[in-house]
Amino acid sequence: MVEVGDRLLGYATDPNVRSKGASGGLVTAVLAAALEKGLVEGVVILKRIDEYEAVPVITDDVQEVLSSGGSMHAVPVNLAKYVVGKKVAMPGKPCDVRGVIEQAKRNSVDLSNTYIVGLNCGGSMHPVLTKEMLIKMYEIDPEDVVGEEIEKGKLIFKTKSGEEKSISIDKLEEEGYGRRESCRYCDVKIPVSADLACGNWGVIGELAGNATFCEVMNEKGKLLLDTAIEAGYVEVRPADEKSISIREKVNSAMLKLGDEWKEKVFDEIPDKDRLKYYIDQFADCIDCGACKEVCPVCSCGPDSKCTMFHSLADNYKMSMYHMVRLLHLSDSCIGCGQCADVCPVDIPVTTIFRRFANPAQKNRNYMPGMDLKRPPFLEVMLK
Amino acid sequence: MAQDESITGTENAKDIRIGVFVCECGTNIGGVVNCRAVADYAATLPNVVHSVVNKYTCSDAGQSEIKQAIKNHNLNRVLVASCTPKTHEPIFRACVEEGGLNPYLFEFVNIREHCSWIHMQDKDSATKKASELVRMGVSRARLLEPLQSNEVPVTNKALVIGAGVAGMQAALDIADMGYKVYLVEKNPSIGGKMAQLDKTFPTNDCSICILGPKMVEIARNKNIELMTYSEVEEVDGYVGNFKVKVKHKPRFIDTTTCTGCGLCVQKCPVEVPYFEFNEGIGTRKAIYVPFPQAVPLRAVVDKSVCIDCGACIKTCESHSINMEQKETFSDIEVGVIVVTTGYDIYDPEPKHDFGYGLCDNVVTGMELERLLNASGPTMGKLVRPSDAKPPKRIGFVQCVGSRDKNRNRYCSGFCCMYALKDAQLIREKYPDSEVYIMYMDIRSPFRNYEEFYDRARDMGIKFIRGKPGKVDEDKNGNVTVRIEDTLTSNLYNLELDLLVLSVGAVAGESSEHIRHLLKVSRAADGFMMEAHPKLKPVDTNLDGIFIGGVTQGPKDIPYSVSQGSACAARATRYLAQGKATTEGITVEVDDDVCVGCGICVPMCPFQALSLVDGKLNIIKALCKGCGTCATACPTGALQQNHFKNEQLLAQIRGAFTFEGE
Amino acid sequence: MAEKEWEPKIVAFCCNWCSYGGADTAGMGRFQQPSSLRIIRVMCSGRIDPMHVFNAFLEGADAVLVTGCHLGDCHYVNGNYKAEVRYQFLEEMVKQLGLEPERLQLNWISASEGEKFANFVRDVTAKIKELGPSPLKPEGVN
Repeated sequence: MVEVGDRLLGYATDPNVRSKGASGGLVTAVLAAALEKGLVEGVVILKRIDEYEAVPVITDDVQEVLSSGGSMHAVPVNLAKYVVGKKVAMPGKPCDVRGVIEQAKRNSVDLSNTYIVGLNCGGSMHPVLTKEMLIKMYEIDPEDVVGEEIEKGKLIFKTKSGEEKSISIDKLEEEGYGRRESCRYCDVKIPVSADLACGNWGVIGELAGNATFCEVMNEKGKLLLDTAIEAGYVEVRPADEKSISIREKVNSAMLKLGDEWKEKVFDEIPDKDRLKYYIDQFADCIDCGACKEVCPVCSCGPDSKCTMFHSLADNYKMSMYHMVRLLHLSDSCIGCGQCADVCPVDIPVTTIFRRFANPAQKNRNYMPGMDLKRPPFLEVMLK
Repeated sequence: MAQDESITGTENAKDIRIGVFVCECGTNIGGVVNCRAVADYAATLPNVVHSVVNKYTCSDAGQSEIKQAIKNHNLNRVLVASCTPKTHEPIFRACVEEGGLNPYLFEFVNIREHCSWIHMQDKDSATKKASELVRMGVSRARLLEPLQSNEVPVTNKALVIGAGVAGMQAALDIADMGYKVYLVEKNPSIGGKMAQLDKTFPTNDCSICILGPKMVEIARNKNIELMTYSEVEEVDGYVGNFKVKVKHKPRFIDTTTCTGCGLCVQKCPVEVPYFEFNEGIGTRKAIYVPFPQAVPLRAVVDKSVCIDCGACIKTCESHSINMEQKETFSDIEVGVIVVTTGYDIYDPEPKHDFGYGLCDNVVTGMELERLLNASGPTMGKLVRPSDAKPPKRIGFVQCVGSRDKNRNRYCSGFCCMYALKDAQLIREKYPDSEVYIMYMDIRSPFRNYEEFYDRARDMGIKFIRGKPGKVDEDKNGNVTVRIEDTLTSNLYNLELDLLVLSVGAVAGESSEHIRHLLKVSRAADGFMMEAHPKLKPVDTNLDGIFIGGVTQGPKDIPYSVSQGSACAARATRYLAQGKATTEGITVEVDDDVCVGCGICVPMCPFQALSLVDGKLNIIKALCKGCGTCATACPTGALQQNHFKNEQLLAQIRGAFTFEGE
Repeated sequence: MAEKEWEPKIVAFCCNWCSYGGADTAGMGRFQQPSSLRIIRVMCSGRIDPMHVFNAFLEGADAVLVTGCHLGDCHYVNGNYKAEVRYQFLEEMVKQLGLEPERLQLNWISASEGEKFANFVRDVTAKIKELGPSPLKPEGVN
């Protein structure tokens, strides 16, 4: 029996799962056990199309879960909206978890029915840019890639012919490749609001690459892990002090780097130029509505205040759609970056929204998606 | 009413026919605004089919013109541009209703207070602005929808919470009008603060002697169900249909058989050194009868100090003592609620308030009342606490805890009068005593109060205008008060045997609890807030809930009694009609758009909203139509009728045009 | 007619019970004001929707005033507190957008404070005249 607060090192007992999974297959095995033992009716997995593309699907097939392991840095989709209204377990990056919690605040997800195995995340990459980067920086045909890895700040690609090429992430990002912009300044690297917080940071020595560091965040996390242990799917042992401190060190180094990026990305625009900047940025908008559609914290249907009172016929300098969304997201935006990913006219939507959300959330000492304590729209927090 | 049927959400824009009536209000508007030009402009606006100027639109002639125009021009919206809706909206709504239109299809534009009266020197601008205001109103009027106010049946019973003199009066009046009343009192006896007083100003008649018969009347009245030693636990529902849960605390006495003989009290070996009724002075037993005139005259056991010796049980001839009693609950249904929960006496703070708590011989006004009272701990003999000797030199400090920016800013109103009264009583009883009143201002309005003040002066009571600086007590228990008489600039070191602090009223803790249960607003002074300071002094913003007595703010006995009666009269209107009309301007949800996120639910201060199976449920009778929830709704599914997003946005858009248009 | 000085257009949201009454009282007291104000009456300041404030700006308002009862005096228990919280969000947004902060103002005005209402309108109008038309005002609109 594990306890809430336990920090453990674990891996899948099945050798196939252990070797296929990124770090000992613990996450895969925990999700499979939850399904097998009836804790949930389905598990969200990413169904691989190729190295750069995958679609989230919900499966009730344990075998399918077990064969779904392996990390994919170039698939940044946020899963929050896939779990709406279902009794499922899912793996998730910190932003996935935060999205689910924001949906729970809006009653579209019942958290008592949703199990989330959080995965440490240093950032993900945009598939289209990744392919471009492979050609330009690595001089590899994207079709030839069979594997990727991050080691010591370097991004490594393996090809069919067994060749390995590595370039430092700093250099890639200087050139505008590497992690998505929102990932670079992301504030949450360890998914502490998930039920289990898992990752390879702090896995050292003989277990390196072969086990997962796992922190039990709450009672649901305990139930998930206990179920997997009882079912014989995973083995765990307590993490030692060294593991714990290395994990913390990696986390704080990443956060510090994030803060530096924040300074760079959110350079101060002078007061007199700001309005023009925003008007110009949004001028290209073609009103496709994709940014709202993908937003993991928005629970409104197609009809909402931002859409219903906005018309293409308006002769406004900015659209009501963006104005209302800027307000509604100023306290709720988790900075997942999806809106920018999907924008067909390349408006840096996330960065613009974060310019409003950063001060709003900082002033209120609030981070959305971290717990259920504070409801959406801070206005209900009356003294 | 037949007209209403055609004006629904399905009507076409071209079917909207607006009549505009521009009022000159004599020269009030017409002297500044060119009303003819405004009416002519209005006639050019879309959907306006009729536009005229009236000398006085609100006059009989003006109103008949509106009604006639509705018929002649087949109007389905009426816009009046005149004064303020605060006074005239009800008049014009009634007028259009008489003309056959739903009253909510009326739009009001204020071109007097908001235009002609504030732009008197700039007639052109005033006319231009008036035209624009009318344009905004027309934009909104186009989108107005008919609304119905709802009628709900009323349970013909009343609940009165708090059985002080105000509550007793309210209960008696409602009962006398023939309705059942539940009267809930948290203490073992009714009577409230008035039962504790010795005499009452300005007549100096004995307080309990005039209150006692009223208390007995309460007990005897067939329409009153008295629930003493009971507290309101939960309140649910709305006007006409309140569901209330009342907790009955265990008395450990069978009140149906106890005769209040007091034998048990004599036998009880436990002396409790704090008698609430005597403001903590003197002792009582673990089993006690609250006071000789208590209603009900029944014993009560203080279980927190009882040693379970059984002495009382053995001595009780009627076998009325039952130590196994548990608290019980009643669920009652009432149509109206009167709140008369009273107040707390300001509790002086040792550091701030003239040595109270530090000096033995500094007491409060209420403690003095008990010391003067014939049924008090000293049988009415005035003694001072330190050595039980009769004091010869007595001083009163006024405005303790009141009119004090560091405590309560308000005047408690009755402290001047009770100090004058107690000073007189002392002078009457002990003609050789010296009595000083240290005051800021003596406040004595109302019949015979100023005369009462004159009488106090005539009786040789000395008045010093000023507030004491330092208060010290020597080893003999004598209190020295340092004070400047601000009328003469003389500085005194007044040596006194007893110093009385004329403490005021503060909002009661138990009142605050009831206020939360009922969701009544709180005024800045902490007391409950009335619906209107002048015209609705005992109503609250919640239909069917009334406040009276000191619950609403400090006041004396006659004023409290009047308010008790006022509450009864206001409350009984609902009981007599058997029905209540609830606000027509409520919120409504579009279920197809609502996603059940629940953001609106905590917004409502009246608990009108809840999520039921993921869908929003609105209790219309609870909705007061503020629209706060509609603002919070992210989807726009929740809308406040008459102030819908489309209607307000149209009004805003009406304020702007392309230049030259 | 001689060319008149530019008069800004200011949209004020007023609650029925207090600030609208304050505007009435200003009229009854004949406190003269510039003719810049256009009042939108709502029942409670809690009904003042940020969306409506944006709309007023986008339509061409040179300033928007959010007004209501003094805190603690709300006719609907605490609607003005909610208005205040929403206003803070709006205020931050206006600042971030780069709109001059003077263009959005909050004021609690009771029904008896006619002179305060009039002074408020005078002060805001004078300030906006200094700033000139709002940069969000569409071309050709007034």
